[in-house]
Amino acid sequence: MSVRLPEPLQRLTTDPDAPLRQGAYRSALRDERVAAILGAALGVLFSICFVTGLYSHIQQNPVSWLPIRPRPAGLYRFTQGLHVAAGIASVPVLLAKLWVVWPRFVSFPVARRLSGLVERIGLFPLVAGGIFMTFSGVANVAQWYPWRFSFTASHYWMAWVTMGSIVAHAGAKWAIARRTLARPSRRPALADADPELGTSAEAEKGAGGGLTRRGLLTTVAAASGVLTLTTIGQTVRPLRRLGLLAPRDPATGPQGRPVNRGAVNAGVVDLAQSPSYRLEVTGRVARPLALDMKDLRAMPAHDTVLPIACVEGWSFSAPWSGVRIRDLLAMAGAEPDRTILIESLEPRGAYRTSTLNPDQAADRDTLLALDLDGETLALDHGYPCRLIAPNRPGVLQTKWVNRVVVL
Amino acid sequence: MSDAPRPAGPRFWITAAAGWALIGWGVYGIVSNSLDTRPADLARFVVGGALLHDLLVAPLAIVAGVLVARAVPTPARAPVQAALAVSAIVALFAWPLVRAYGLAAGNPTSLPHNYGRNLLVVLGVVWAVAGGAVILRLKRAG
Repeated sequence: MSVRLPEPLQRLTTDPDAPLRQGAYRSALRDERVAAILGAALGVLFSICFVTGLYSHIQQNPVSWLPIRPRPAGLYRFTQGLHVAAGIASVPVLLAKLWVVWPRFVSFPVARRLSGLVERIGLFPLVAGGIFMTFSGVANVAQWYPWRFSFTASHYWMAWVTMGSIVAHAGAKWAIARRTLARPSRRPALADADPELGTSAEAEKGAGGGLTRRGLLTTVAAASGVLTLTTIGQTVRPLRRLGLLAPRDPATGPQGRPVNRGAVNAGVVDLAQSPSYRLEVTGRVARPLALDMKDLRAMPAHDTVLPIACVEGWSFSAPWSGVRIRDLLAMAGAEPDRTILIESLEPRGAYRTSTLNPDQAADRDTLLALDLDGETLALDHGYPCRLIAPNRPGVLQTKWVNRVVVL
Repeated sequence: MSDAPRPAGPRFWITAAAGWALIGWGVYGIVSNSLDTRPADLARFVVGGALLHDLLVAPLAIVAGVLVARAVPTPARAPVQAALAVSAIVALFAWPLVRAYGLAAGNPTSLPHNYGRNLLVVLGVVWAVAGGAVILRLKRAG
């Protein structure tokens, strides 16, 4: 295929190495070493997102061969905070990497051998996947859904596409990246090797006066740093005051705590406050129970401090008090080692139920909480009672619970 | 994608096979969960995002770089380039918050800050640092 392009563009696009040759673009920044460093950083950040994302996925879609342990209690808070933080930090790195290599996307010929063709085709899922993952993640954290697909399903499946592209790309670039990264970062001054050449080259550099390669990498690090510092306060409490661009504030909300879905939006305001409210314990039990608030308050209360860790990366830790699930199960004479289904008063919604595996259900800190911070649970936090269990995403800490079913 | 000078070795083909297997698994997942993933809508965003970046964002960034290189005098050039890049990225990130696209009615804890003001504060700090760097460079130059 022959395409006629304007002369400078023609020259640019017929020599795939031109952009990476100093001076060709009047920018020494489009350099192999810069591309390799940014690529390695992106590889690390995206791998962190992938692994923590898989963990979040099996939290929400349990698999029998890898049951979620209830301990350490703050594990999910850590992994999901890291997932969102690494994703946000990768935004400047991705944009810089694409800026550095962009001229290569429009270079011709497309490839000179089969391996080159395979590598080039793989750039599409790599670039499109990287952009999609960061864009959809950032939009989701801002609770902005300009699309019709399900965020969780699409973000999850596109992660495989993106990670696959990264594996192929890393393999293709391994040798060249290792070679450039192994090179000492400070090349000997040109003036030492050839005074005349060195003087002219350095004089030219002075005339340019724009960002150096180190300056570009510092800029990227600064941008990632600014984004991290102004958002991480939504989960790292001591940095709360710096959270200028954090979508949530861990100290704003009913009882001084944020929520993702309030009672009004869940459609439970009347049901939750009805005097006919009963907590049922049913399923494979010897004695089905129907407990009203007085019965629940009469049971032994347990205190614990556990985090609510939202999939969107914000979290807070708080003192809860309530009834142990294992006490309820014992009282009802439940069959041992069963999965437990927790149901909400919510009439509909993807998160109106959640399950506890046997380990989670037996944990001493797995409660139906009645109190938060020593006060009766606010309606928005799940009054009359909510599930609170260690190492668990916030969306699975089911609120407005009215049924505990032994499966 | 300047092809390697030597033919690709086993590492290339093994990682390519593994990588494309993962890509295939992802595509299979998207297609077989089409009620959730809505492949046509998803494709619009995946392809559209890449095109938007490659044909609009990247060329704009390159043009901005050229303009700054021409318009800004030497001692200020690098700090201005850096501050512009950081500002653009931070503003891009903050835009959905500033415009409150995701504001949930009936949830007072959603988007609790004044993000427009906060964005200006962050950009103010960025440009103050850049200004400091310019002054430092002027002093050093003489």
